[in-house]
This record gives sequence, structure tokens and C-alpha cells, in this order.
Amino acid sequence: MSFKACSLQDLTPGEGLRIDSVSPPIAIFLTEEGTVHAIDDTCTHQDASLAAGWVEDCRVECPLHESTFSLRTGAVDQPPAKKGVRVHTVELDGDDVLVELSQDAPNLPPGVKI
Amino acid sequence: MIIDHLEEPLPGSSLLPTPSGDAYTDPEIFGTEQTEIFEKMWNCVLRADALPAPGHWQKATIGREEIIVVHTRKAGIQAYFNVCAHRGMRVCTAESGKNKTLQCGYHAWTYALEGDLVAAPNLTSMPDVDRKEYGLKPVHVRQWLGYVWVCLAEEPPDFEQEVLGEVRTRFGEVESIDNYGIENLKLGETKTYDVAANWKLIIENFMECYHCATIHPELTEVIPEFADGLASQRKNGEVHGSNFGEEIQGFTVDGTASGVAELPAIAPDQDRKYFAITVKPQVFINTVPDHVIIHRTFPVSESRTVVECDWLFLPEVVEHVQAGELDISKSVELFHRVNQQDFQACELTQPSMSSAAYASGGALVPSEHHIQEFHSWWYQRLGLQAPLPAASGSEKVA
Ligand code: FES
Ligand code: FES
Ligand SMILES: [Fe+2]
Repeated sequence: MSFKACSLQDLTPGEGLRIDSVSPPIAIFLTEEGTVHAIDDTCTHQDASLAAGWVEDCRVECPLHESTFSLRTGAVDQPPAKKGVRVHTVELDGDDVLVELSQDAPNLPPGVKI
Repeated sequence: MIIDHLEEPLPGSSLLPTPSGDAYTDPEIFGTEQTEIFEKMWNCVLRADALPAPGHWQKATIGREEIIVVHTRKAGIQAYFNVCAHRGMRVCTAESGKNKTLQCGYHAWTYALEGDLVAAPNLTSMPDVDRKEYGLKPVHVRQWLGYVWVCLAEEPPDFEQEVLGEVRTRFGEVESIDNYGIENLKLGETKTYDVAANWKLIIENFMECYHCATIHPELTEVIPEFADGLASQRKNGEVHGSNFGEEIQGFTVDGTASGVAELPAIAPDQDRKYFAITVKPQVFINTVPDHVIIHRTFPVSESRTVVECDWLFLPEVVEHVQAGELDISKSVELFHRVNQQDFQACELTQPSMSSAAYASGGALVPSEHHIQEFHSWWYQRLGLQAPLPAASGSEKVA
């Protein structure tokens, strides 16, 4: 079941938008290239919002430490984060950004509960 | 050639007094100078092209404060106190760098280049934390002459009045400094001088030329009229274009041609002349037809001042230098020697400032009388009473 997470107008190229109406919260990214992606917002290393991270080459760099996550696969490239984040399916309906949440269990950092 | 002569001093008053020696040695006075002068006025901190792209930052010390000057992504060049809003650690610890964000190394509070707090461990569970209020504390920033100027005061003095106004009174008309197109010049050379002297000794030295014939043989060769002791800076803030000697071909260490292209828009009366002005409290601007020399001074203590000196040339000149096709060392060497000679004199003066023989200060000869305008300004900024004009300069007892 997909839901409307936001509208395209809410997004800024190269930046993320945190959606906390779902738990755990997710982050929607509009890349400079114009693609839209959704991943879990919480870094797997510590409680940090990936929506505040730096987006480059379809990856987001965690704003706190140096791990980056693929916006396509959720895979992490380097420590300190060891696990990837979940990726959610995005569909555009006109300006509506529709997201279907992954059914996998999220990889939340220590101390963060749903 | 006509040289403007100073008004004849009144009989018995050839000499005017200077501040007493402790003005140059007392740490408490220096502390007041930091709070009342450097932390309240506009300071010229660095060249804007030292931060060429977003993410570049550099630290600077103004008064007692350390600041970070940053080329942001969205708001040009900005500056902040280098103090983490969390528990105060220095956010930037190197002298300069390039980063996507400014991150404190203690608990990883992370600030956007634009200053607001963007991330911190557990920040999402503290939604009440205001990202601006707990951002880096900004300082006021202006750009002029290709330099970044900052003011730490909450309410900065009007830049137009205080900085441009100062130059206007000194240079005659601000347009005439515009002729040099300083904001479009590029850095040909820069040198840092760590001077063991109070900052005021350096300003006073820069304002007068009574010493020129004694300590600046090369400069006096290029500008022979300096032998009369009169500086480019004069009474009532006027500036006088000092003429090159007749045989002199360029503003170089040996007076030979510089080989450097002249600045295209200078006026005929700016040709073959040297002009100098002081922008209080910490900038000296020197202009000659083919380059501009800018000093920024950073007082470190009552007896130590760091001076950064830049030699600025046309961009094409700097390109030729970088390509190894042109040598500007003759041009640079002249004022480098002047700097070394001046700073050595200041360093040999500083130790005497605490001597019993100098407790009541020294004297200004007529060609130095305009330095009293600087002293009056200084007394006023510090809320001090200037001593009453000496009844007679000759009564001083050692
Ligand atoms: S919190 Fe993301 S890498 Fe440490
Ligand atoms: S002091 Fe800077 S993050 Fe704690
Ligand atoms: Fe000098």
C-alpha cells in the first residue's frame, strides 16, 4: 500500500526531506539529476537524520560521521556505520510523491526504538 | 616641484607629546584596546579569493575572539565565532580547510556552512531545539577591495562612514582610490611579519617619514622628496602623492623599470607617485602606478603584532609570473625591505616603552604632528583624557 509522502514542490534538488508521519521516519531525496528516492531517515550508526546529509552521485553522506548510503540500494560504503538502510519504493503521480514502505526490518542504531 | 610646507610651529612648541610609555606596555590598556577598538570596529581579515569555492574556510583572530570565515553554498562569504553552541569547544581546529559542513569534534554537533545547526546525535528526538538559536553565532561581514571585512559588534558602525569615509578623507575622494581597481587585482606575493612591538608603534611609524632618510635608503632613492621628512600622510588626514625621483624608472628596489603593466585607470596625477593611507585600526594601503600594497595588522599582545602584507598586481601580471615569464621580485623587494626596516625600528623601540626614561612618553616633531590626530582618536576610543597640551615641549626631564 503506497501513501503520499510529499509533493515534488516540497523537495529541493540536492537535499533531503524528513517525513516523520511514519515510524521509523523516512527521508525523501530529489537529486540534482532529478531522480526521487526514499530511504530510512535514521543512520544505522547513531541517531542522526540522513535528510540533513550531503547528497552527491546518488549517495547521501551521514551528516555526523563519514559513512555514505546509496539512495538506490541503501548499502553503506564505509564505517563507522556497518549496516545499510532500507530503501522504499517511490512512484510519482503528477506532483505527488508516492511511497511504498519496505517490509524488511529496519536497521536502527542503538537506543532508537520504533 | 612644490612641496606643501607644514605650518610653522609656534615658538616653543616644536615638539608635541606622545602618550606615556605604559600605553605601549600595559596589558590592561591592551585589553581595553581589544574590547573598545578591535572588537567594535571593522577589521580587514583576508582576501576573498583565499576562499575560492563553497566549503572553503579560514580562521582569524580579532581582539580576543577567534572567528571562522566561510564561503557558504547559499549566502556568499559569512563569518562566525568559532564557538560550539553545545558546550563551547572550538569548532574548527586547523587554520583553514574545505568541508561540506562545520562539525564540532567533541559531540559532533554539525553546522551548515550557512551557520545553522543541521545535525547532532539524537537531535531528531529534541524537536524543540531551534536550529538558528543553536547555530554558530554570526559576525557582520562586508567585502571591499577584494577583502573580507568583519565586525564583531552586535551593532556594527556604518561601513560607508567608518571605512569608506576614512579613505575618503585620507585620499581626497574615494573615486581616486577606485582608479586603482584594487578589487580586481590579484595576489602576486604575500609575507607575514611577526613583530615584537605594540600595534600603535607600527601605525605611528607608518604615518610619518621623518625616519625615511635614515632607515630606508632604497625607498629614499626612489622617492627623494622623502628626505625632507614629510610623509604621504599629512595633517587633517590629507594624503600627498609623493613623486618618484627624476631618474627613477619604477617602484623597484633599485629604481629600474619594473616590467610590470600599469593599472589602466589611474589618473595622470597618480602616475609616477606613491600614496599611502591608514584605515584605522589595522589597515595600511600603499599605491604606486603598477601595484598596490596592503598591510593588515593583527595585535596579539601589548608587545606583539602580526602583520600580513600583500602585493597586488593586475591579473595578467600574476598569470605571467605563475607561468614563469615575468619576475616581480624587484617590485616586491622594495617594500619588503621597507617593512623589515620599519619593523626592526619598532622592535628596538618597544623595550624602551617600559623604561623609566620614557615613563612620560616622547615627542613629535612638526613633520610628525599629524600623528597626534591618531593619538586623540586613541584617547577618545579608550575613554581616556588626553593630557593637556604641554606648556612647552622643552621642559621634559629625563
Ligand atoms: S551517525 Fe551516521 S555515520 Fe555515525
Ligand atoms: S561541544 Fe561541540 S558538540 Fe559538544
Ligand atoms: Fe618606514
